[in-house]
Amino acid sequence: MPVQTTRRDLLKGITLGAGATLLSPILDQVAARASGEARTSRRVVIVTQTNGFSPRHLVPSGVEWRNPNGRSASARLTEVSLADKNLHAALEPLTLFKNRLALVQGLSSRIALGGHSTNQGCLGAYPANRGPLGPTIDHLLAQAVPSVFNHVALGMSGAGLLNYRLSASGRGQATPVICTPELGFRTLFGSVAAGQGQRDFDHRSNLLDFMADDVRRSRNALAGEERQHLDNYLAAFEALHRRQNEIAGMRDQLRRHAPNLGNRLTTTVTSTILEAQFETGAAALIAGLTNVLLLSSGGGEQNFGRFPEFGINDLHAIGHGQSVGNRTYEDCFVELRQFHCRLIAGLATRLQNMREGNGTMLDNTVIVYLSDSADGHHPSCYQWPVVLMGNLGGRLRTGGRFIDYPAYGNAGHRTLANLYCTLLHAAGRPRDRFGVTDPGLRDLDQSGPLQELLPA
Amino acid sequence: MALADVDPAAYLKAHCFKCHGETKKSGGVRLDDLPSDPSKDAERWLTVRDQIRDHLMPPAKEPRPVDKNTRELVSWITLKAGARPARLPNQGNLIPHELLFGAPAKANDDASPSRLWRLSPNGYVGLLNDLLRGKVNKGQMPGGMIQPFNLVDERGIRDHAGLYSIDEPTTEVLLRNAAAIVDLQVGTGTQKNNNNPELTAAYRAESPTRKQLDAAVQAQYRMAIGRKASPEELGRYWGLYEKCAEGGDKAGAVKTVLQAVLLKSDAIFRSEMGGNSADEAKNSRRMLAPLELARALSLTLGERREPTLWQAAEAGKLSSRDEVSAHVKRLLYDPAFSKARVMNFFHEYFEYHRADEVFKDRPKDFTHEPRTLISDTDQLVAHILATDKDVFRQLLTTELSFVSHLVKLNKQKQLETGPAHVPNNNNKGRKLVEHVYGFEKWPTPQPVTLPKETRIGILMQPSWLIAWGTNFDNDPVRRGRWVRERLLGGTVPDLPIGVAAQIPDDPQRTLRDRLKVTREPQCWKCHQRMDDLGLPFEQFDHFGRFRTTEEVQDVPKPAKNPKSKPVITLKASPLETTGLVTDSGDPKLDGAVKEPREMIRKIANSDRARQVFVRHVFRYFMGRNETLSDARTLQEADRVYVQSGGSFRALVHSLLTSDVFLYRRLNVVAAN
Repeated sequence: MPVQTTRRDLLKGITLGAGATLLSPILDQVAARASGEARTSRRVVIVTQTNGFSPRHLVPSGVEWRNPNGRSASARLTEVSLADKNLHAALEPLTLFKNRLALVQGLSSRIALGGHSTNQGCLGAYPANRGPLGPTIDHLLAQAVPSVFNHVALGMSGAGLLNYRLSASGRGQATPVICTPELGFRTLFGSVAAGQGQRDFDHRSNLLDFMADDVRRSRNALAGEERQHLDNYLAAFEALHRRQNEIAGMRDQLRRHAPNLGNRLTTTVTSTILEAQFETGAAALIAGLTNVLLLSSGGGEQNFGRFPEFGINDLHAIGHGQSVGNRTYEDCFVELRQFHCRLIAGLATRLQNMREGNGTMLDNTVIVYLSDSADGHHPSCYQWPVVLMGNLGGRLRTGGRFIDYPAYGNAGHRTLANLYCTLLHAAGRPRDRFGVTDPGLRDLDQSGPLQELLPA
Repeated sequence: MALADVDPAAYLKAHCFKCHGETKKSGGVRLDDLPSDPSKDAERWLTVRDQIRDHLMPPAKEPRPVDKNTRELVSWITLKAGARPARLPNQGNLIPHELLFGAPAKANDDASPSRLWRLSPNGYVGLLNDLLRGKVNKGQMPGGMIQPFNLVDERGIRDHAGLYSIDEPTTEVLLRNAAAIVDLQVGTGTQKNNNNPELTAAYRAESPTRKQLDAAVQAQYRMAIGRKASPEELGRYWGLYEKCAEGGDKAGAVKTVLQAVLLKSDAIFRSEMGGNSADEAKNSRRMLAPLELARALSLTLGERREPTLWQAAEAGKLSSRDEVSAHVKRLLYDPAFSKARVMNFFHEYFEYHRADEVFKDRPKDFTHEPRTLISDTDQLVAHILATDKDVFRQLLTTELSFVSHLVKLNKQKQLETGPAHVPNNNNKGRKLVEHVYGFEKWPTPQPVTLPKETRIGILMQPSWLIAWGTNFDNDPVRRGRWVRERLLGGTVPDLPIGVAAQIPDDPQRTLRDRLKVTREPQCWKCHQRMDDLGLPFEQFDHFGRFRTTEEVQDVPKPAKNPKSKPVITLKASPLETTGLVTDSGDPKLDGAVKEPREMIRKIANSDRARQVFVRHVFRYFMGRNETLSDARTLQEADRVYVQSGGSFRALVHSLLTSDVFLYRRLNVVAAN
């Protein structure tokens, strides 16, 4: 939910978002290319799937699963190479990318404990039930690797067009995940797809310019606090207009990469919505529109969504152990996870097919896959299974490994916040603390990145 | 507010310094160095206030301060620390009740802060209806438009002016909707619309003249904003037109101009700045301008522009309290005027309408129809409002109810009533909805008097009990919280970080018994403010059926065949419906109660609960939390309500003709 901030805050945010240089990111890249300096982008994709991620799904064949009472039982760090192991059936579609995976088991984030979703607490590592207490990891990463759109969030929601429950740019500043393919596509590629093409694009540019001026006038006629009411609205027009200019310079590139969604633009079939959103997201990365992409399947409160096309109408019911026809709830969970893994594998394949520098775009990307509901339908948050794919241009050490951290409360135990610190280290904005620390772990050092995931 | 019996310094010394003094500094907190004037260190003082108000401190093992002293100290700190009102609607009770109703408030130049208030989702649909002069449904927006706005997910009252602004993705939706609206207006959309001659003339002209464009802009202003555009504004729109027309697409340029009007902040924010009357400006406040009033009244009582108010404003007949009063009365008593927004208050206050969000397994021997139950309660509220006598008490204690009651118009447009559900094959052998209310047969005529001493009022309607329950059980904790906050005007702290709130799942024990886990000292600090107020509702099962025993599982008996699973049977366990009202702020209310009807009747008869109801009505219709300076308005509204014999209309009329509704405080304009 948009909440008031001062204009000063907003402008500060924009400046940070635009990166440290005065040049816009695009000009920045052009300048870099012109100077002969090969600058490759770093990209982060975060995929959240609601209704919990069973820690069992992370365990490869031949590795013992130790999980009494929802807690991991390992007292020490275990590392297993995936080279000679098979992935769990639920993750099978990722097999092709096995040597790029790090399956991270045993991280906790008890601080984010929530009912059916930890809301912003998942990506923010703070309590789930108090609204956005600070920026979520996707937004901090967006500041580290800015682009035309610093942050793109697409997905499917069980409720409504925009899902304000997963992501936040700051305290009290929830930001939406766009939950229909049509709005997602239009937001990112509308400029090259509209029927009248050039003319509509120009009208839009003129309109945005006019509206920024118009809202500024209304705003300036106000005094004191009311003035702030229009700050977000003004900033929206300013940002849209600025982006319009940047996009104008990218027309050919966008035309080349715009996804062809056809009927899927307006589909109401859940799995097709997700397919379309993954495709739009991949296109946005490839066209250079963004470097940070959040893809969410449901999430926030009880917005699970439904998958009638798989015969799974009620995700709440399978969360409570109900079977569907002759499939057990676990069969259903595996089927849904396989579907999401196929989407992730598809996205990775597209990035792998794009040359970049001496390698591919996938080489400079990391995909983070987890659930906003941690380890289950009613999560305990003692464990928060995470799949990492890719090494962000060598800035992370993933390389086909299963890593099981010491269980909650044991020496060497680590949290989701440590993983987020790791990502920030890798993205070039190192920090050693993230979110709210867990009072239950006060005897352990909760700071710093996960050394096991950083290059030696 | 005078502190009759309590000396802040002595209170702190007696109850705080032992642990939070110079030497011990328990938890790193030291209080002996607090400045005696709370305004000098408001943050720390307010932390102390919150701790003692919610009885989080002093800890249970220490002697408990006298409740009355604590309340007085809480009031004193609130007054002295100069606290700003909490922003979220459900934090309104942070202003202690005693400060608002404790002593007669003096006349003052009351006013509200000037403000912009983003349209509510329903208000936006209303705007579309004004623009398209058509029947735009909330559920189905025309021409591919989508609802751009939403409200906070909080429970309770949701649309407060200070909460909402418009961000970038929402702006994107507004842009797209504006394009779709203009397409419909000029007839290029899916529907033909010939109601906009000025708009279509400019759009269809091969090359529109300045006069044609001005006329179109003026028409759009009239519909979207309700005022005329100034010459300066017209000039800027012409400029936009010329710029867009450079590319040769003149029709597209006209459409862009018409879209720009729809996106103006004046169209999608409700502006309440106050007019520019010179003599009033000498004071610190000014009255809302007539057009502002027309919009404010339209959107306070309804969801779209009310034409008569606009006519009055344009004719200069909406600029005094008397004129406003006449229109408020007219709207409140006009049967043709939609009362949706008034009805919505009762949804947000009671929240029985959430009954169909609580998923339940299909019962074996009776039908569970949450929507029918909600509709019944809606009709009951409407019935009580139509009578408009002793409304608050009736809402809580009426013995009447609608029961599976359907009201519809037949083809002859005559009202027909009947059972909402008739037996059919799907209901094979199942008892129908009236069973939930305790009737064997569908009763008529309705409203009907409920079986004696079973249930009274909205809080014992099945819809409310289900909405404030869980999938499988009653929820005494949240019900108790509801009573604490919305009837007693108290507060309950949020769930502490890291607490996994779970009632043990033991089918052999009653819920009351299992809930004893909250009596652990660290839980009870907060739960003592909720559980005992919610437990009397154990009188009903989680489908809202009256009961005298609670069914639990018996100890499993071994099956005859040793390989089979043990046999589980149900047994009736004695039902306890007692409760306890504590720390209510009204000594007459405190004490044990035997069952829910006794508790609710007692509360319904209290001045305090009625005043707390007035506070909620204020929050909803003013779109903000009450502050200390609203004491006079609240007291006056309460007085009017009582004197009118409990008329809800009189209460709303009092609020909407009060200074705080009509006047806006002047801000010191920063030199700019």
